[in-house]
Amino acid sequence: MMKYIFLTFTLAAGLSVFSQNDSINKLEEVVLYGNFSPALNSGYTVDIIRDSVLKNNNLSLGDLLQKELNLYFKENGNGMVSSISLRGTSAAHTGVYWNGIAINSSLNGQTDFNTISANGFDAVDIRKGGGSVLLGSGAVGGAVNLRDRLNFTPDKKIFVQLGGGSYSTFKGNTQGEFSTEKYFAKASINYANSKNNYPYPDTDLYNENGEYINLGVQTVLGWKPNKNNRFSLHTYYTDNDRNTSGTLSAPSNSKLLNKDNRFLLSWKNTGTKYTSLLDLSSLDEKYTYLFQKDDSESATGNQSRDLIVKYDLTWFLFKNTSVKAGIINTYSTGKGDHIGSVSQNNFEMYTLWHQEVFDKLIYNISLRKGFSSVYRIPLIYAVDLNYNINDKFSIKSNYSTNYRLPTFNDLFWDPGGNPELKPENSTTGEIAFGFNNDGFKLQTSVYFLDSKNLIQWVPTQNNGIWEPKNIKESTGYGIEFELQKSMEMGKNHLRGSLQYAYTVSNDDALGKQLIYVPYHKAYGNLLYHYKNIFMNYNLQYTGEVYTTSSNSQALDDYWLSNIEFGYSFLKNKMNIGLHIKNIFKEAYQSVAYRPMPNRNYELNINYKID
Amino acid sequence: MKTFKITAFLMITTLFFASCSSDDNPPVNIPKGDYENGFFITNEGAFNTGTGTITFVGDDGKVSQNIYKTVNNEDLGNVVQSMTLKGDKAYIVVNNSNKIVVANRYTFKKEGVISEDISNPRYMVAENDRAFVSNWGDPSDPSDDFISVINLNTNQVINTISVGEGPENMLIVNTKLFVNLKGGWGHNDQVAIIDLQTQSLIENVGVGDVPNSLIDDGRGNVWILCGGISWPVNSQSEGKLVRMSAATGSVIRIYNFDTTEHPAFLNFDGGNLYYNLEGKVYKMSPSSADLPEESVAGLDGFFYSMATYYGDMYATDAKDFNSEGELKIFNLASGTLLETIPAGIIPGSVVFQQ
Repeated sequence: MMKYIFLTFTLAAGLSVFSQNDSINKLEEVVLYGNFSPALNSGYTVDIIRDSVLKNNNLSLGDLLQKELNLYFKENGNGMVSSISLRGTSAAHTGVYWNGIAINSSLNGQTDFNTISANGFDAVDIRKGGGSVLLGSGAVGGAVNLRDRLNFTPDKKIFVQLGGGSYSTFKGNTQGEFSTEKYFAKASINYANSKNNYPYPDTDLYNENGEYINLGVQTVLGWKPNKNNRFSLHTYYTDNDRNTSGTLSAPSNSKLLNKDNRFLLSWKNTGTKYTSLLDLSSLDEKYTYLFQKDDSESATGNQSRDLIVKYDLTWFLFKNTSVKAGIINTYSTGKGDHIGSVSQNNFEMYTLWHQEVFDKLIYNISLRKGFSSVYRIPLIYAVDLNYNINDKFSIKSNYSTNYRLPTFNDLFWDPGGNPELKPENSTTGEIAFGFNNDGFKLQTSVYFLDSKNLIQWVPTQNNGIWEPKNIKESTGYGIEFELQKSMEMGKNHLRGSLQYAYTVSNDDALGKQLIYVPYHKAYGNLLYHYKNIFMNYNLQYTGEVYTTSSNSQALDDYWLSNIEFGYSFLKNKMNIGLHIKNIFKEAYQSVAYRPMPNRNYELNINYKID
Repeated sequence: MKTFKITAFLMITTLFFASCSSDDNPPVNIPKGDYENGFFITNEGAFNTGTGTITFVGDDGKVSQNIYKTVNNEDLGNVVQSMTLKGDKAYIVVNNSNKIVVANRYTFKKEGVISEDISNPRYMVAENDRAFVSNWGDPSDPSDDFISVINLNTNQVINTISVGEGPENMLIVNTKLFVNLKGGWGHNDQVAIIDLQTQSLIENVGVGDVPNSLIDDGRGNVWILCGGISWPVNSQSEGKLVRMSAATGSVIRIYNFDTTEHPAFLNFDGGNLYYNLEGKVYKMSPSSADLPEESVAGLDGFFYSMATYYGDMYATDAKDFNSEGELKIFNLASGTLLETIPAGIIPGSVVFQQ
């Protein structure tokens, strides 16, 4: 019922002003952000984390997102596999993109947010709500985009950061950037290692076998021969060597090695009436799991390669109206101990109608259809709009159908893989009201998100083999609330943010809340600047989560407080920061039987030359 | 607390003396503990990081969940694979935690932990003051599997016997130990026969692929049920029921299933063999020339474990493997469901007092 209300609302509001036309051209934004551009996502909330925030934090992408926004993550112990759950969906229902290229694993469909370090990027976009039509498989609960920004003004930057902290943790990263009017070059290296041997609170145990070494190397080369053409080559290599820590109930002597190598060659051509973007990308992924970390014979692993060709054309019909169309071909191969040697080809195409009416209303209507060598991909569509009632109040709304395609593991895992699987489908809609006035921002949104044909691994008959099947259905809805206030008083700058989310995500067959989906999640952040000192207090509340599908067992809720102090000197070239995490010594678990660290410290020094 | 203890002590001693005050009264059966009269269900616990639990089902019908934690205020550990009762002790085999927890079987009070020379343990059988534990070691390594020999007086591993890949359930018949070599992460197809006196391997006997259960029919035969290989679908191998001479280890007869049939849970009750195939239970006389065609009406279901006991069938249902399962008790003869009992997460076996 609810979904029809949303759909009707969205369509009605759009149609009522369909014939009007007078607006400004949002060409610039379309060009800048591609499919994450606010113009193409007018009915969605897109949060952008800027480079100033990214550079000053020496955090994994997962920790950074939790620090900046009210997002729920499930972490298999500190530094271990970390997965996001947006709007009550599973880890594979958040699309993760690198400069617009989907990088969720072809093997398990997820991204481990502890394998990515955030500070090598220039911006991170977080888009909530269904987005499969423009973004493809898996963008169901939302999407995260890691962005490199090219700069074609003569400039030179060097940045070095060193840090260390509790549990023998060392972190270092360095970046260099050089640009002229025609050329751009950037390189970034990230390194972190830790013994990660923190004591488990309230026990005499400690986190055994939790050591990790993470390395990330990024480069960007850009060439702008003239004002109509821009070429860029992006590379992103990550190497994560992590022992997999034990739990309260069992020790571990295992290790997980991940190596990912990503390339993207991009050509953007802009004319007076169009923007065209050609992307050629190759994504290599490899993991090795050593049951006994010192015994190479106990290793098992799989790897995959995606070759992606993507073309996107935006045609500006009138000053306020554009049409967009794109095609993507993804050829994937996989091989390894558990999937044998497999391949598949997916061809997808999409189109979008974008119109801005009266300066007040922006709406998009879009469609996507795909064809796969393995399964049938459904036709999906989306409508979204933004309506500015006046310069203070605005309404956003969206309605979309979405899918997640089965992955190599789902299809071919030995034993159990099921080549008969079909894509999962989700339908979602949202209405959001925003108020913006003089440094004060209030936004509240309600949404529903229903999924069908969800893939669940279940044991087959009595031979003990598990097989994935399209059997689960879920019904969900939620409310999100956000309040922000900035104030300037002389040299004092204060910014506060409060966020809250209520999330219901029910397994239809059981009539119970899905496991690891908190009903309540809250967030608070208070930033204070005075001249060259700053202080940041960050509070993350995670409500109780169920750990059994019958909701008979649960993990306690927890309040996590982190505080940061910073001091800049040498004309702001040098910066020193102290980060105290879990200041109130909350004993908490993100995943059952995996205690997280008590109060711990990190000290960072960075130096930049502009 | 102290006052409470003293009061409790006084009350207990008063009762004790009161009940013994007259020699004319019949001797009072002093209970050995809360868990004396009834049977147990072992629950593996949630798949990745949970802890296994023990459920006790009293003869009075009272069901107590998680009794080990109730008594000892600690978790058993990850994946409670099996439990063996011997003397006044319960030995709980905890697979991923690489240990065997020893508790008093009547009170369930913890008495110790055996973890030296135990690696990925699966099952335990006991005889006199010795016990034998099957260990997979590293499940991806086919050459490091072994049987630990434990001195039950000291709870120490006194010997280890190297065996082929994936030793699973075991059976002691006279002076021999029969070990199903099921395969760890790979497949195996043998039964290892070990001499209990010399604690050495006599021979490996080829049976069928993936031997998963075995019984002693009391007439000199060991029956081994092999599930066959069920994956990948296009390279399956057939299930087999193998009758072996307990005295010589020679295979007397092999009953072949179809290539796509993968039976499990061989049991012996009232002189007949019972097994489960594709969600149905079949009954077979040991003297039968062929496998039975018809299943026993009423005993249907895809169970996670199945055990027969004095004319009844105890079958566990693990449901979605992420919530509390249940035990169903059927009458073997009539096929009627007698009782459904709530269990813990992934109930993997039922353990009877004798």
